[in-house]
This record gives sequence, structure tokens and C-alpha cells, in this order.
Amino acid sequence: MKALIQKELRENLKLAVLGLFIFALILTLFVLNHVQMMKSLAAGGPPQGYFMQPLASPGFWSMTGFFCAIYAAVLGWFQIHNERHRDLWAFLVHRPATRTEIFLGKTIAGLILYTLAFFLPLTGFIIWARVPGQVAAPFEWIMLRPVAMHFLAGIIYYFAGMLTGLRQARWYASRALGLGGALIVSMSLVNEPHLWQALGIMLIGGVSLATAAWGGFHSQGGYQGQPAPGKLALISTLGLASLVVAFFAALLLAAALVPRNTDPWSQHQMTKDGTIYRVTQWFGKPAEIVDLDGKPLLDPKTGRMTELTGFTRRLCNHAQVSPDFSNHPSRPRWYDQSFNRFTLWRTTPDTFWYYWTPYGRLVGYDKTTRRFIGNLGPDGFSTDLSPAGARFNNERNERVLGRIIIDEQTVYELDLEHRAIRALFTVTNENCEATLHPTNANTFRGTIGAVREVSFNSYDWDYTMVVTRCFIYLLTPEGKTVWKVPYQPAYPDYKQVQIAFLEPTNRFALWLFPAGRALEKSGWKLPAHVTWLDRDGEALKSVDLPNLPHRLKRPRPEEKIISLAIPPAIIVTLPLLGDEAWPAAIPWWLMPYSLAAALVCIPMGWWLGWRYSFSLRAQLGWAVFYLAWGIPGLLAFLCVQEWPAREVCPGCKKLRVVDREKCPHCGADFAPPEKTGTEVFEPLAAVK
Amino acid sequence: MNESIVIRTRGLTRYFGAKPAVSDLNLEVPRGCVFAYLGRNGSGKTTTIRMLLGLLSPTRGEGSIFGKDIRALSPEVRARIGYLTEEHQLYPWMTVRQCGEFQAPFYPRWNDKVFRSVIGHFNLKPTARVKDLSRGERAGLCLGLTLAPEPELLVLDDPAMGLDPVAHRSLIESMIYLTRRSDRTIFFSSHELADVERVADYIAILDHSVLRVCCSLETFRNSVRQVRLRFPGAPPPTPKISGLLQAFRAEGELRLVCAHYDGATEQALRALGPAQLEPVPLSLEDAFISYLGERGEKSFILSETEAQP
Repeated sequence: MKALIQKELRENLKLAVLGLFIFALILTLFVLNHVQMMKSLAAGGPPQGYFMQPLASPGFWSMTGFFCAIYAAVLGWFQIHNERHRDLWAFLVHRPATRTEIFLGKTIAGLILYTLAFFLPLTGFIIWARVPGQVAAPFEWIMLRPVAMHFLAGIIYYFAGMLTGLRQARWYASRALGLGGALIVSMSLVNEPHLWQALGIMLIGGVSLATAAWGGFHSQGGYQGQPAPGKLALISTLGLASLVVAFFAALLLAAALVPRNTDPWSQHQMTKDGTIYRVTQWFGKPAEIVDLDGKPLLDPKTGRMTELTGFTRRLCNHAQVSPDFSNHPSRPRWYDQSFNRFTLWRTTPDTFWYYWTPYGRLVGYDKTTRRFIGNLGPDGFSTDLSPAGARFNNERNERVLGRIIIDEQTVYELDLEHRAIRALFTVTNENCEATLHPTNANTFRGTIGAVREVSFNSYDWDYTMVVTRCFIYLLTPEGKTVWKVPYQPAYPDYKQVQIAFLEPTNRFALWLFPAGRALEKSGWKLPAHVTWLDRDGEALKSVDLPNLPHRLKRPRPEEKIISLAIPPAIIVTLPLLGDEAWPAAIPWWLMPYSLAAALVCIPMGWWLGWRYSFSLRAQLGWAVFYLAWGIPGLLAFLCVQEWPAREVCPGCKKLRVVDREKCPHCGADFAPPEKTGTEVFEPLAAVK
Repeated sequence: MNESIVIRTRGLTRYFGAKPAVSDLNLEVPRGCVFAYLGRNGSGKTTTIRMLLGLLSPTRGEGSIFGKDIRALSPEVRARIGYLTEEHQLYPWMTVRQCGEFQAPFYPRWNDKVFRSVIGHFNLKPTARVKDLSRGERAGLCLGLTLAPEPELLVLDDPAMGLDPVAHRSLIESMIYLTRRSDRTIFFSSHELADVERVADYIAILDHSVLRVCCSLETFRNSVRQVRLRFPGAPPPTPKISGLLQAFRAEGELRLVCAHYDGATEQALRALGPAQLEPVPLSLEDAFISYLGERGEKSFILSETEAQP
């Protein structure tokens, strides 16, 4: 195998150098872009969020993902394509080595080259970014986790490319479907909530594609002649890819067949004088604006129904927050966790300040030297950064301009120019546990569930809104309480709090909207509560808004069509891939359509199997597969099978497949070729 | 295990789409012989070889080499088989030496002396790159790579195809010189009948995917005969005789090529009342061409109108 690895390394070295060059070029562009950005910042330009740390920029990750996928697929395909000439392939495989050894020899060499082409430029890039004075932003190795995952996903593409090179099928038919399988795996892994799930999917996908490619070596790329694991892997790979094909075909079909949605949708909106209107909109029709009694809002000048554009100008200012008292508010997916490690908080003329989530503190960098200058926590400024220091708890801060920051009990005002902090408001003596849902180990122990700076013009600081377990506070920028009202009805059924600022000033309206899940669970019957408040927070009146008609009648025609392409097995197993924070599910009410499509596939597949004389065992196996995998399953079946010719049996005169020794109908042998009388045969003996 | 038969097939069949490329092939190749596998282009020779070496799976039927199923030849069996492909494809970026270095570690019986001897015979420089070699030189290199592992069975797929006469002669000479060993079996397909005549012990002929001949060279030569019958006027219609391959009708003459020419055939021909019946000698090439050429009658008698000046 060593000779084979050496040969593969030598043969594909050019491709490795090319890949290395391309990736180095991509990374160089990132470096140049960063240098340019820093120059622009020095000249007073606006900062650009995550791009401040190039190693944690989603652009860098995406580009890495594209590079890994495309380059690995090309490399895998090329390693096979190089030897696609019939005689060269024969020269390769006709040697005293098993097909597994040949497969391993190619794979090991291919992965070495892939790794070199990827890691050499990446190492240079990391070294550049880690040299002090280059990048003025926090860095943690965990930020490179998506890059590592893209690298691993590239291995799946490598096998997909190899499989594409091996498959004996036409391009327009199913040759490249292995790449579709890899695409599904890489898409699902960035969407998984947990890293272990992503790794699991990658492992399953990788093993499946590698086994399919390995099987291809045993059968010269065909389905017949593969070992059983190879066949299974090929079916699962093409089954996944067929899912993509069937899904997009169903989307196109739905777009072509289903007319544009003409259902109306409605919402309540409040004008500056505190009146609530129901606005109903349709595609292609003017909006209908009526008050709560159903009277249309007429334009006093024209006497006609007020248009939406004019109505929008009459709406009041408002600010909304979504308090969260769970232990992990807005827990991001594993992929997002890697770039949510820090947030560019604010800049001053000389410094950048980031909120660094793992430390719960603001860290500052000098704009000129691009070096760390210190950090700011609830306990003040420090030049040492320790995870053990006092922390902010900023996950509940719906940041606007970064002038305030919170911990569990206190809202602080920041003075970043002087690297100082001042407590603005502290929540004390609140006890309203009975009004909240039962607490447990997963319940947030702090008090503040949401905070927001209110700015009507995106620059001034008009108010601060704070929602605690018991109260909703409106504060002045100085921290003085304008009013506080009880938070009723409380979290978790009502998770959206909105304050409307009415005119004349110092009148308010407090809206409490039901949470989406609670609303759905109640059968869309939970009302929104609106309370009008005076300047001291005294309730003037309150109303429960009538329920708006539920916008979508499910299932919609396009959903029915699309669900035909979704395998029943996906509907059953998808919930296992989600969790409470990130539910992953296709609604169960789509199951009948999915199942119906699967049931139709069974007789179709059975008929094909009967036509080509499949054994009963094979027929049953495929039938179970169609039942689980529906239309994509039937497509995968059509892709993998190689259909033998059929001839008339001289015994029973029925059509029989030519790849059986005996007629499956009557058991007759194949007739030997007709004699012409010119045959010359004699017994042969060994020559001494 | 009886290994007096090196290659054996039973009902070996391969279809490409609806077309059979090899039909119901029953073949036995004894140990130690030089076996020529003949047929026209597209008759199924290469398909047979590729099936025998497990490079193509049969549609039905079975086969064995050294008693092992051709669908699952182990590395040990493959080490005993040398295979020379028809287009002599090698990795273009390799040098002659690198080709040997790549191949050698796989074969426990690799004989570097043989390799050097063959490439020496073809005047190949070890540093020359494959892409710079002529077709004949590449064939020589392939032959060296095939022979150096000291295989017991050599399978050569039209080894001289596309070579100029000098390279061709050189290749065949090396083959004869280096492969004549009592226990070595050579199975080769070819179009070059002169080569077959020089080296083959047995021949097999495929005609439109069907094996029609499998015998010694002598038997084939004796079986396919040509006779000329002279008649005073126009020859009578061609009689229906078993084994008739071709008939040529001319003014006063009927020439017939038959397989299995025997007493009964002669008696049937004499019944036509020819003025003269004489055998016409056939070379192996003529016999082969007659055998594989278009069957039936060809008339060279001009019609009365065409005969007018």
C-alpha cells in the first residue's frame, strides 16, 4: 500500500499545490480586507462587527466551508478520473492487492493532500491573526470550531467526489447524487443545536459515503457486485440526495400549480393618541383599517378609507422586549455559539470595546496599537482579565446603543471614554414568586429578565425599560423611575412586553403579547392585554384585544404538495434532532400526505421488481424502504438499479431477464447459441 | 485441486444493454499452452478477458482461473496472472524506473533482472518518462512490467495492436523468448495471424459473441478447406452442404470454403458433375478470413447486358 500512497501523492501533488494556492489567496484577501478596514477605522470609519476578528468572521467560515467542499470533491473525483481509462484502471486494480487496500491507498494519500492544502495556509493565517498588534479583537480557540467542522465536512465531500468519479451512471441521471448527500449532511450540521449532534451526523454521513465509495471500488462503480455494506451505503447516500431532488421538484411544482396566497393577515396597531386599530392586508389589495368596533378609519379630507402609508405616519413610538427567565436565554446553536463569543459593544475615539461573553465583561483594545488595554466589569476597570471576576449578565440586554449594561440585579451606565461604570438602577425587595411559573433548577436566579435603552431617533437616550420577575419599569436616562407596574399576566405565557409612548407626552400604553407557543397551545385564544397608563403608571383603562383570525389555514396546498416529497421517516425522526430551545419538527398533520405518497410508491416499485424478477426478500426489503422514504426512496431505487435486458424465454414465451441462469417463470435454461455447422471443437490437453 | 486447466468458463455471458457481447462461453485453457483467442473487432475478445480478470462482472455464467471464481480473485491469484492491456496505458508522469519501482513492491516474485532485460531489449532509458515514449516503447515497458512478476498465466489483450512492424516484431520476439516455460500459460487475443501461426498451440475463435472454434492450430487448418470445381458452362446452384462457409461463383467455376471437409462433403460435390474438383491450399490467414468473413455465396458472373461491350 505504501507504493500506492506514494504514487497517489506524486500524481495529485499538482492539485494539492493548486488547492493550497487558491486557499492561500482567499486568506490573503481576508488579510488585505482586514488591513484596509483597520485603516478605515483609524480614519474614523464605522466598525464592522464580527469582521473585527477575522478568525471569527462568518465570512471567513463560509469561505472556508465552500473551499473545503469544492476542493475536496474535486480532489476525490480527480483521483478516480485520472484512472478512468479502462486499461489504466485495469492496470491499477489487477495487482496483488485487495480493492480495500487500493481504496485505502487512494484515500490516505488524498486526505494527506487535502489536509496539507488546507492547513498550511490556515496556519499562516492564524499566526498572522494571533501576532499582537494585528487584530484588535478577542480571540478564543473555540472560534475556530466551525472551521474545524468545515474541514471535517470536506472529507465527506471528498468521498462524494470519489463516488461521483466511480459511479457508472449518466451525469444527468444520478452520477453526481453523492454530492447531494454530502450537501445535506453539511447543511444539517450547521443547523443542529448541539455540537455532538453535528458530529454524529457528520460521522454517519462520512461513514456512509466512504462505504459507498469503497463499495464502488469492488464493482467498478456499479451497484451489482458490491458487498452488502457498500450497497446499503449507496442506497442511503442516494436516498438522501434524492430527498433534495424530490424536495426541490415539489417546490417547483407547488410554485407552478398553487396560486399566490390571497389569505388576509391582520394585526393591531396603536396611533399616537392611543387608539387601537385592526389593520388587515391582502396581497394586491389596499389594507383595511378599522377600529375595535369595526368602524373603518376614514380620511377626514377625502372621506375615503385611510391608506396604509398615511396611517403608518400616525402610529406611536414604541419599544418592545422579550423577558426571559430561563437558565439559558436565547441559547444559540453550536455554530452560532462560536461567533457569539463577543459583541462589538461600542467604540470611542481611541478604543474598541467588546462584550466578551465567557468573561461577562467588556474588554477594550487600543485603536492605534490594536493591543488589549483592559476590561470593565461590575467591579470597575482592570488590566487583568480573569474569568473569576465579577460579571455582567448581558444576555438579557436588548442592546441599542450600548450605553447601559446589566448584571442580575442592576442596570449600569457606561462611561467608556473614562473606563468607568455607574449603577443606574438596582432592583430590590421584589417578591412575587407566586405569580411566576414554578421555579426549578433550570430557572434563572436573577431578577432582571429584559432591559432596553429606548431611543426614538436612534441616537438620543429617551428612556430605559426594565422587566423583572414582578414589575415592568420605565426609567429616565438618569435612572429615575417614571413608573412601575406589575408584570401581569406574567412569564412564560406572556413573553413580549411593549410600551407605547403616546401624545401628548407622559401617557403610555402597555401591551403584553402572548408567547407564540402558549398562543398555539391555547388554540390561538390567548388575548393580548393593553393597559393605558398615566404619567405615574396608574392604569386608566385596560382591554383584552379580540383574537385575530389565525392567518394560515393548515395544511396549505403548497404544503400538501411539498409534503409528498418528504419521507415519513423524516417526520418521525426529525424531532429527535431538536430540543426544547431548538425544536426540529415537521408538523404531524403533514404525515397523511407523506404516507400516501409512500404507499403509492410501493406498488410502483413492486411492479418494477416483479418485471425484473426480484426475489421476494428483495421486494419486501425495498417495500419497507419505500414506506420509510417515500418518493425519494423510489428515486434512489431507480438510481441504483441496473436494469438487465429481457428476452423471450423459449420455454414459456414470457419475457425473462438475462442475468438469471434459469427462467424465473418456467425454470428453463437459456438455449445455447444456434449451431451453424461450422463449429470446430476438440478436447484440449496441456502442452508438455 | 486440479490445475491442469488454468482457465475454465461455463455459460459465461455478458450483455451491454440488450446486446450480448459474449454468449454462453464454454472454454477450457490447459496449463502450459499458448492459447490464441481470435475474432473480429467487437466479437467479444476483450470483454471475455476483462470478465476473466474480474474487471467486468458477467451477466450470467461462471468462470475460474486456477480454480478460483473470477468474481472474487484473491491477491494471491492475481499475483500469478500477468495482464497486458491492449492500449498499453501507464501513468504518463512516471519514468520507466518509477514504473518498475511502483509495481515491484506488490509482487513477491518480482524479478528485476527480467524487467531490466525487457526494457533493455527495447532500448528504454530508465529516466525516460512514459509520456515521452513511443507506442512501441510503451508496449515494451508494459511487457516488462507484466513479465517481471514471473506470472504463471499471461493474459495479453492484443499486445501488438497499433505497433509498427519493427516494434511489433520486437514485442513478439521478446514474448516468445521470455515466456516459453513449460508451466507458463499464455492466453492472448490478436488480429495478427502470422503471430498466431508462429506461437499458438491452440486457438479459439469468437464469431459475433459466440465461440465457434476451439482446437489446435493444426485441427483448424485441416478443418477449413477450399475446393475448386470446374464446369464446362455456368456452374450449377450451390448445393446445401454442412459446414459451408463461403461460395464464389464465376464463369465455369465454383469455389467453396467449408469447415469439416470430409468424404461426405466431397461426395455431395461430385454429385454436381464437375469436370474437375481440386483442393486449393489455404493459409491460416485465408482460413481465418474465410471463417470470419461474410457467409454465403458471392457471384462473379456478369449478366448478359453487363457483358456487352
